Amino acid sequence: MGGNSSKITAQDQAIYDLKLQRDRLHQYQRRITHLTSRETAIARTLLSQNDKPRALLALRRKKYQESLLAKTDQQLEQLEKLVSSVEFALIQKDVVFGLQQGTKVLKEIHAEMGGIDKVEKLMGETAEEIEYQKEVSEMLGGRISVQDEEEVEEELMRLEAEMAPTGQKVVEEGVGRLPDVPDTELPEVNGERQEVKKPVAGERREAIPA
Amino acid sequence: MPTPPTPPFPFPKEYSFPPFFTPQINLATRHAQLTKWSSLILSYCRHHAIYRLSLSDTTTSPSSPAYPLFNNDSINRRLSLSYIKEIIDFMRRDGRAEWVSGSGSGEQQQGDLVWVYWRTPEEWAGLVEKWVEETGNKGQVMTVYELVEGEGSRGSEFWGLDQELMVKAVQVLVKKGKAQTMGGEENLGVKFF
Repeated sequence: MGGNSSKITAQDQAIYDLKLQRDRLHQYQRRITHLTSRETAIARTLLSQNDKPRALLALRRKKYQESLLAKTDQQLEQLEKLVSSVEFALIQKDVVFGLQQGTKVLKEIHAEMGGIDKVEKLMGETAEEIEYQKEVSEMLGGRISVQDEEEVEEELMRLEAEMAPTGQKVVEEGVGRLPDVPDTELPEVNGERQEVKKPVAGERREAIPA
Repeated sequence: MPTPPTPPFPFPKEYSFPPFFTPQINLATRHAQLTKWSSLILSYCRHHAIYRLSLSDTTTSPSSPAYPLFNNDSINRRLSLSYIKEIIDFMRRDGRAEWVSGSGSGEQQQGDLVWVYWRTPEEWAGLVEKWVEETGNKGQVMTVYELVEGEGSRGSEFWGLDQELMVKAVQVLVKKGKAQTMGGEENLGVKFF
Protein backbone atom coordinates (compact mmCIF):
# COMPACT_ATOMS: atom_id res chain seq x y z
CA MET A 1 0.00 0.00 0.00
CA GLY A 2 1.32 3.41 -0.90
CA GLY A 3 -0.38 4.78 2.18
CA ASN A 4 1.72 7.84 2.86
CA SER A 5 2.75 9.42 -0.38
CA SER A 6 2.90 13.13 -1.04
CA LYS A 7 -0.29 13.18 -3.10
CA ILE A 8 -2.47 12.40 -0.11
CA THR A 9 -2.81 15.42 2.11
CA ALA A 10 -3.82 15.66 5.73
CA GLN A 11 -7.28 16.76 4.65
CA ASP A 12 -7.63 13.67 2.51
CA GLN A 13 -6.69 11.59 5.49
CA ALA A 14 -9.28 13.39 7.59
CA ILE A 15 -12.01 12.86 5.02
CA TYR A 16 -11.00 9.26 4.76
CA ASP A 17 -11.30 8.85 8.53
CA LEU A 18 -14.71 10.47 8.52
CA LYS A 19 -15.87 8.26 5.70
CA LEU A 20 -14.54 5.25 7.51
CA GLN A 21 -16.66 6.17 10.50
CA ARG A 22 -19.64 6.58 8.26
CA ASP A 23 -19.03 3.20 6.68
CA ARG A 24 -18.85 1.63 10.12
CA LEU A 25 -22.13 3.20 11.13
CA HIS A 26 -23.61 2.02 7.88
CA GLN A 27 -22.50 -1.50 8.56
CA TYR A 28 -23.76 -1.28 12.11
CA GLN A 29 -27.15 -0.21 10.83
CA ARG A 30 -27.27 -3.15 8.54
CA ARG A 31 -26.51 -5.46 11.40
CA ILE A 32 -29.22 -3.89 13.54
CA THR A 33 -31.74 -4.05 10.72
CA HIS A 34 -30.99 -7.69 10.33
CA LEU A 35 -31.34 -8.24 14.08
CA THR A 36 -34.69 -6.50 14.32
CA SER A 37 -36.16 -8.55 11.55
CA ARG A 38 -34.84 -11.69 13.25
CA GLU A 39 -36.25 -10.56 16.57
CA THR A 40 -39.72 -10.32 15.03
CA ALA A 41 -39.40 -13.83 13.70
CA ILE A 42 -38.30 -15.07 17.10
CA ALA A 43 -41.26 -13.38 18.79
CA ARG A 44 -43.59 -14.99 16.28
CA THR A 45 -42.27 -18.50 16.88
CA LEU A 46 -42.33 -17.97 20.66
CA LEU A 47 -45.93 -16.83 20.48
CA SER A 48 -46.86 -19.89 18.52
CA GLN A 49 -45.26 -21.89 21.34
CA ASN A 50 -47.35 -19.91 23.83
CA ASP A 51 -44.31 -18.44 25.49
CA LYS A 52 -45.63 -14.94 25.95
CA PRO A 53 -43.06 -13.43 28.35
CA ARG A 54 -40.14 -14.34 26.12
CA ALA A 55 -41.95 -13.14 23.05
CA LEU A 56 -42.43 -9.84 24.84
CA LEU A 57 -38.76 -9.78 25.67
CA ALA A 58 -37.88 -10.31 22.04
CA LEU A 59 -40.20 -7.50 21.01
CA ARG A 60 -38.66 -5.24 23.63
CA ARG A 61 -35.24 -6.02 22.31
CA LYS A 62 -36.48 -5.19 18.88
CA LYS A 63 -37.87 -1.87 20.10
CA TYR A 64 -34.56 -1.02 21.73
CA GLN A 65 -32.66 -1.88 18.59
CA GLU A 66 -35.00 0.26 16.58
CA SER A 67 -34.25 3.21 18.83
CA LEU A 68 -30.57 2.51 18.31
CA LEU A 69 -31.19 2.55 14.61
CA ALA A 70 -32.83 5.96 14.85
CA LYS A 71 -29.89 7.26 16.85
CA THR A 72 -27.37 5.95 14.39
CA ASP A 73 -29.39 7.55 11.63
CA GLN A 74 -28.88 10.90 13.28
CA GLN A 75 -25.21 10.27 13.79
CA LEU A 76 -24.89 9.18 10.21
CA GLU A 77 -26.49 12.39 9.11
CA GLN A 78 -24.07 14.38 11.24
CA LEU A 79 -21.14 12.57 9.75
CA GLU A 80 -22.35 13.01 6.21
CA LYS A 81 -22.89 16.70 6.83
CA LEU A 82 -19.42 17.01 8.23
CA VAL A 83 -17.92 15.17 5.28
CA SER A 84 -19.66 17.38 2.79
CA SER A 85 -18.79 20.56 4.65
CA VAL A 86 -15.15 19.50 4.77
CA GLU A 87 -15.26 18.78 1.09
CA PHE A 88 -16.91 22.09 0.39
CA ALA A 89 -14.39 23.94 2.56
CA LEU A 90 -11.63 22.31 0.52
CA ILE A 91 -13.22 23.59 -2.66
CA GLN A 92 -13.54 27.04 -1.14
CA LYS A 93 -9.89 26.90 -0.25
CA ASP A 94 -9.10 26.07 -3.85
CA VAL A 95 -11.20 28.98 -5.05
CA VAL A 96 -9.45 31.40 -2.72
CA PHE A 97 -6.12 30.04 -3.79
CA GLY A 98 -7.10 30.52 -7.41
CA LEU A 99 -8.16 34.09 -6.75
CA GLN A 100 -4.88 34.73 -4.97
CA GLN A 101 -2.90 33.39 -7.88
CA GLY A 102 -4.89 35.48 -10.30
CA THR A 103 -4.38 38.66 -8.32
CA LYS A 104 -0.70 37.95 -8.02
CA VAL A 105 -0.33 37.51 -11.74
CA LEU A 106 -2.31 40.66 -12.39
CA LYS A 107 -0.09 42.58 -9.99
CA GLU A 108 3.01 41.28 -11.66
CA ILE A 109 1.74 42.32 -15.04
CA HIS A 110 0.91 45.77 -13.74
CA ALA A 111 4.33 46.06 -12.18
CA GLU A 112 5.84 45.19 -15.54
CA MET A 113 3.80 47.98 -17.10
CA GLY A 114 5.33 50.37 -14.54
CA GLY A 115 2.43 52.32 -13.15
CA ILE A 116 -0.05 54.85 -14.49
CA ASP A 117 2.45 57.68 -14.92
CA LYS A 118 4.57 55.59 -17.18
CA VAL A 119 1.58 54.54 -19.23
CA GLU A 120 0.49 58.16 -19.53
CA LYS A 121 3.91 59.21 -20.61
CA LEU A 122 3.99 56.37 -23.08
CA MET A 123 0.63 57.35 -24.50
CA GLY A 124 1.84 60.96 -24.85
CA GLU A 125 4.92 59.76 -26.64
CA THR A 126 2.87 57.60 -28.89
CA ALA A 127 0.63 60.52 -29.80
CA GLU A 128 3.68 62.61 -30.53
CA GLU A 129 5.16 59.97 -32.71
CA ILE A 130 1.92 59.58 -34.58
CA GLU A 131 1.81 63.30 -35.11
CA TYR A 132 5.35 63.28 -36.37
CA GLN A 133 4.59 60.42 -38.68
CA LYS A 134 1.64 62.36 -40.06
CA GLU A 135 3.83 65.36 -40.76
CA VAL A 136 6.34 63.26 -42.54
CA SER A 137 3.59 61.68 -44.57
CA GLU A 138 2.21 65.03 -45.54
CA MET A 139 5.60 66.26 -46.62
CA LEU A 140 6.12 63.25 -48.74
CA GLY A 141 2.45 63.14 -49.67
CA GLY A 142 2.55 65.69 -52.53
CA ARG A 143 5.07 63.83 -54.57
CA ILE A 144 3.60 60.48 -53.92
CA SER A 145 0.09 61.58 -54.78
CA VAL A 146 1.14 63.06 -58.09
CA GLN A 147 2.87 59.85 -58.93
CA ASP A 148 -0.22 57.96 -57.83
CA GLU A 149 -2.45 60.21 -59.89
CA GLU A 150 -0.41 59.51 -62.96
CA GLU A 151 -0.60 55.83 -62.37
CA VAL A 152 -4.32 55.95 -61.81
CA GLU A 153 -4.88 57.86 -64.97
CA GLU A 154 -2.71 55.51 -66.90
CA GLU A 155 -4.71 52.61 -65.60
CA LEU A 156 -7.94 54.28 -66.51
CA MET A 157 -6.75 54.77 -70.05
CA ARG A 158 -5.68 51.23 -70.28
CA LEU A 159 -9.05 50.08 -69.07
CA GLU A 160 -10.78 52.35 -71.59
CA ALA A 161 -8.67 50.88 -74.31
CA GLU A 162 -9.69 47.43 -73.24
CA MET A 163 -13.34 48.31 -73.07
CA ALA A 164 -13.50 50.29 -76.34
CA PRO A 165 -13.37 47.52 -78.95
CA THR A 166 -16.13 45.50 -77.35
CA GLY A 167 -18.29 48.59 -76.96
CA GLN A 168 -17.89 49.51 -80.63
CA LYS A 169 -18.73 45.99 -81.69
CA VAL A 170 -22.07 46.22 -79.98
CA VAL A 171 -22.86 49.44 -81.73
CA GLU A 172 -21.73 48.09 -85.07
CA GLU A 173 -23.84 45.02 -84.77
CA GLY A 174 -26.85 47.11 -83.96
CA VAL A 175 -26.30 49.35 -86.97
CA GLY A 176 -25.62 46.43 -89.25
CA ARG A 177 -28.78 44.59 -88.41
CA LEU A 178 -31.30 47.29 -88.27
CA PRO A 179 -31.47 48.16 -91.97
CA ASP A 180 -32.53 44.62 -92.77
CA VAL A 181 -35.97 45.10 -91.39
CA PRO A 182 -37.76 47.03 -94.18
CA ASP A 183 -38.96 44.75 -96.97
CA THR A 184 -38.58 45.28 -100.66
CA GLU A 185 -42.32 45.26 -101.16
CA LEU A 186 -42.60 48.89 -100.28
CA PRO A 187 -41.22 50.45 -103.49
CA GLU A 188 -44.25 49.20 -105.37
CA VAL A 189 -46.62 51.15 -103.16
CA ASN A 190 -44.64 54.32 -102.60
CA GLY A 191 -41.25 54.58 -104.26
CA GLU A 192 -40.41 58.20 -103.47
CA ARG A 193 -41.22 58.09 -99.85
CA GLN A 194 -39.03 55.17 -99.22
CA GLU A 195 -36.01 56.82 -100.67
CA VAL A 196 -36.43 59.77 -98.37
CA LYS A 197 -37.07 57.79 -95.29
CA LYS A 198 -34.37 55.24 -95.74
CA PRO A 199 -31.54 56.93 -93.77
CA VAL A 200 -33.91 57.48 -90.85
CA ALA A 201 -35.12 53.93 -90.89
CA GLY A 202 -32.03 52.85 -88.97
CA GLU A 203 -33.25 54.73 -85.91
CA ARG A 204 -37.01 54.38 -86.05
CA ARG A 205 -38.36 51.37 -87.80
CA GLU A 206 -41.89 51.68 -86.58
CA ALA A 207 -42.35 55.05 -88.12
CA ILE A 208 -42.33 53.66 -91.65
CA PRO A 209 -45.84 52.26 -91.87
CA ALA A 210 -47.39 55.41 -90.51
CA MET B 1 -25.30 -9.03 -0.48
CA PRO B 2 -28.90 -8.07 -1.16
CA THR B 3 -29.54 -9.02 -4.75
CA PRO B 4 -32.96 -8.93 -6.36
CA PRO B 5 -34.20 -12.33 -7.47
CA THR B 6 -32.59 -13.06 -10.80
CA PRO B 7 -34.42 -14.85 -13.57
CA PRO B 8 -33.25 -18.44 -14.12
CA PHE B 9 -30.11 -18.82 -16.12
CA PRO B 10 -30.71 -20.12 -19.65
CA PHE B 11 -28.34 -23.05 -19.86
CA PRO B 12 -26.89 -23.92 -23.27
CA LYS B 13 -27.99 -27.15 -24.87
CA GLU B 14 -24.66 -28.86 -24.11
CA TYR B 15 -25.67 -28.70 -20.48
CA SER B 16 -28.33 -31.35 -21.08
CA PHE B 17 -25.90 -33.50 -23.02
CA PRO B 18 -24.48 -36.18 -20.69
CA PRO B 19 -21.01 -36.51 -22.31
CA PHE B 20 -20.46 -32.84 -21.64
CA PHE B 21 -19.89 -33.81 -18.02
CA THR B 22 -17.25 -36.42 -18.81
CA PRO B 23 -13.71 -35.36 -19.66
CA GLN B 24 -13.19 -36.10 -23.35
CA ILE B 25 -10.17 -38.13 -24.40
CA ASN B 26 -9.69 -36.69 -27.86
CA LEU B 27 -7.51 -33.61 -27.53
CA ALA B 28 -9.45 -31.43 -29.95
CA THR B 29 -12.76 -32.43 -28.41
CA ARG B 30 -11.30 -31.88 -24.98
CA HIS B 31 -10.23 -28.38 -25.93
CA ALA B 32 -13.65 -27.58 -27.35
CA GLN B 33 -15.22 -28.95 -24.19
CA LEU B 34 -12.96 -26.84 -21.99
CA THR B 35 -13.81 -23.75 -24.02
CA LYS B 36 -17.52 -24.48 -23.72
CA TRP B 37 -17.27 -25.02 -19.99
CA SER B 38 -15.23 -21.90 -19.56
CA SER B 39 -17.80 -19.75 -21.31
CA LEU B 40 -20.63 -21.48 -19.46
CA ILE B 41 -19.02 -20.76 -16.10
CA LEU B 42 -18.35 -17.16 -17.04
CA SER B 43 -21.86 -16.47 -18.27
CA TYR B 44 -23.44 -18.29 -15.35
CA CYS B 45 -21.41 -16.29 -12.85
CA ARG B 46 -22.13 -13.08 -14.71
CA HIS B 47 -25.82 -13.86 -14.67
CA HIS B 48 -25.88 -14.50 -10.93
CA ALA B 49 -23.23 -11.90 -10.09
CA ILE B 50 -20.94 -14.49 -8.58
CA TYR B 51 -17.39 -13.28 -8.16
CA ARG B 52 -15.80 -16.28 -6.55
CA LEU B 53 -16.62 -19.93 -6.36
CA SER B 54 -15.95 -22.30 -3.57
CA LEU B 55 -15.36 -25.56 -5.39
CA SER B 56 -16.25 -27.89 -2.55
CA ASP B 57 -19.34 -25.86 -1.75
CA THR B 58 -20.62 -25.68 -5.30
CA THR B 59 -20.09 -29.36 -5.94
CA THR B 60 -21.64 -30.67 -2.76
CA SER B 61 -24.08 -28.19 -1.29
CA PRO B 62 -27.34 -27.94 -3.25
CA SER B 63 -28.11 -24.65 -1.52
CA SER B 64 -25.07 -23.01 -3.03
CA PRO B 65 -26.04 -20.50 -5.70
CA ALA B 66 -23.62 -22.06 -8.15
CA TYR B 67 -24.66 -25.64 -7.40
CA PRO B 68 -26.56 -26.11 -10.70
CA LEU B 69 -23.47 -25.09 -12.61
CA PHE B 70 -21.59 -28.34 -12.10
CA ASN B 71 -24.53 -30.54 -11.21
CA ASN B 72 -27.26 -31.27 -13.68
CA ASP B 73 -29.65 -33.30 -11.58
CA SER B 74 -32.18 -33.59 -14.38
CA ILE B 75 -29.83 -35.83 -16.37
CA ASN B 76 -28.10 -37.07 -13.24
CA ARG B 77 -24.65 -35.85 -14.23
CA ARG B 78 -22.05 -33.97 -12.27
CA LEU B 79 -18.62 -32.67 -12.96
CA SER B 80 -15.78 -34.23 -11.00
CA LEU B 81 -13.69 -31.96 -8.81
CA SER B 82 -10.50 -32.81 -10.67
CA TYR B 83 -12.06 -31.89 -13.97
CA ILE B 84 -13.37 -28.64 -12.52
CA LYS B 85 -9.82 -27.87 -11.45
CA GLU B 86 -8.62 -28.58 -14.95
CA ILE B 87 -11.24 -26.19 -16.31
CA ILE B 88 -10.21 -23.56 -13.80
CA ASP B 89 -6.60 -23.98 -14.89
CA PHE B 90 -7.70 -23.64 -18.48
CA MET B 91 -9.51 -20.41 -17.58
CA ARG B 92 -6.52 -19.20 -15.62
CA ARG B 93 -4.44 -19.29 -18.79
CA ASP B 94 -6.94 -16.89 -20.33
CA GLY B 95 -6.79 -14.65 -17.30
CA ARG B 96 -10.43 -15.43 -16.57
CA ALA B 97 -9.91 -17.17 -13.26
CA GLU B 98 -7.52 -17.09 -10.37
CA TRP B 99 -7.10 -19.00 -7.17
CA VAL B 100 -8.03 -16.83 -4.24
CA SER B 101 -4.76 -16.22 -2.45
CA GLY B 102 -4.60 -17.44 1.07
CA SER B 103 -6.66 -20.50 0.28
CA GLY B 104 -3.53 -22.24 -0.93
CA SER B 105 -1.23 -21.03 -3.66
CA GLY B 106 1.12 -22.77 -6.03
CA GLU B 107 0.46 -25.35 -8.65
CA GLN B 108 0.20 -28.42 -6.45
CA GLN B 109 -1.64 -27.09 -3.46
CA GLN B 110 -4.61 -25.56 -5.17
CA GLY B 111 -7.19 -24.04 -2.97
CA ASP B 112 -10.88 -24.31 -2.89
CA LEU B 113 -11.81 -20.72 -3.58
CA VAL B 114 -11.44 -19.38 -7.05
CA TRP B 115 -12.03 -15.96 -8.57
CA VAL B 116 -14.17 -16.09 -11.65
CA TYR B 117 -13.26 -13.12 -13.77
CA TRP B 118 -16.18 -12.57 -16.06
CA ARG B 119 -14.69 -9.16 -15.72
CA THR B 120 -11.00 -9.06 -14.93
CA PRO B 121 -9.73 -6.63 -12.30
CA GLU B 122 -8.44 -4.53 -15.19
CA GLU B 123 -11.91 -4.39 -16.69
CA TRP B 124 -13.45 -3.50 -13.33
CA ALA B 125 -10.78 -0.85 -12.91
CA GLY B 126 -11.77 0.60 -16.27
CA LEU B 127 -15.40 0.76 -15.19
CA VAL B 128 -14.51 2.42 -11.92
CA GLU B 129 -12.28 4.90 -13.69
CA LYS B 130 -15.06 5.79 -16.10
CA TRP B 131 -17.52 6.15 -13.25
CA VAL B 132 -15.15 8.40 -11.31
CA GLU B 133 -14.73 10.53 -14.39
CA GLU B 134 -18.45 10.75 -15.07
CA THR B 135 -19.52 11.53 -11.53
CA GLY B 136 -16.88 14.13 -10.90
CA ASN B 137 -15.24 12.15 -8.15
CA LYS B 138 -11.78 12.95 -9.38
CA GLY B 139 -9.59 14.14 -6.56
CA GLN B 140 -12.04 12.78 -4.04
CA VAL B 141 -11.34 10.41 -1.25
CA MET B 142 -13.59 7.40 -1.09
CA THR B 143 -13.60 4.18 0.79
CA VAL B 144 -13.78 0.87 -1.00
CA TYR B 145 -16.85 0.08 1.07
CA GLU B 146 -18.44 3.26 -0.22
CA LEU B 147 -17.65 2.30 -3.80
CA VAL B 148 -19.16 -1.12 -3.45
CA GLU B 149 -22.02 -0.53 -1.03
CA GLY B 150 -22.51 3.21 -0.87
CA GLU B 151 -25.47 5.20 -2.06
CA GLY B 152 -23.35 7.24 -4.43
CA SER B 153 -22.45 4.35 -6.65
CA ARG B 154 -25.78 2.54 -6.46
CA GLY B 155 -26.83 1.61 -9.95
CA SER B 156 -23.31 1.51 -11.30
CA GLU B 157 -22.15 -1.80 -12.66
CA PHE B 158 -19.73 -2.45 -9.85
CA TRP B 159 -22.25 -1.86 -7.11
CA GLY B 160 -22.34 -4.93 -4.92
CA LEU B 161 -19.00 -6.09 -6.22
CA ASP B 162 -16.95 -8.33 -3.99
CA GLN B 163 -14.88 -5.98 -1.85
CA GLU B 164 -11.70 -7.94 -2.29
CA LEU B 165 -12.14 -7.85 -6.02
CA MET B 166 -12.73 -4.12 -5.84
CA VAL B 167 -9.48 -3.79 -3.92
CA LYS B 168 -7.78 -5.62 -6.77
CA ALA B 169 -9.35 -3.26 -9.28
CA VAL B 170 -8.28 -0.25 -7.21
CA GLN B 171 -4.76 -1.61 -7.11
CA VAL B 172 -4.79 -1.78 -10.89
CA LEU B 173 -5.71 1.91 -10.89
CA VAL B 174 -2.92 2.61 -8.42
CA LYS B 175 -0.44 0.95 -10.77
CA LYS B 176 -1.69 3.14 -13.58
CA GLY B 177 -1.20 6.18 -11.40
CA LYS B 178 -4.91 6.93 -11.42
CA ALA B 179 -5.48 6.41 -7.75
CA GLN B 180 -3.77 6.21 -4.43
CA THR B 181 -4.74 4.15 -1.46
CA MET B 182 -4.64 4.79 2.24
CA GLY B 183 -5.48 2.84 5.30
CA GLY B 184 -5.30 -0.85 5.79
CA GLU B 185 -6.38 -3.73 3.63
CA GLU B 186 -9.61 -4.13 5.57
CA ASN B 187 -11.07 -0.70 5.01
CA LEU B 188 -9.09 0.69 2.19
CA GLY B 189 -9.49 4.31 1.25
CA VAL B 190 -8.75 5.50 -2.21
CA LYS B 191 -8.15 8.85 -3.80
CA PHE B 192 -8.71 9.17 -7.52
CA PHE B 193 -6.72 11.34 -9.86
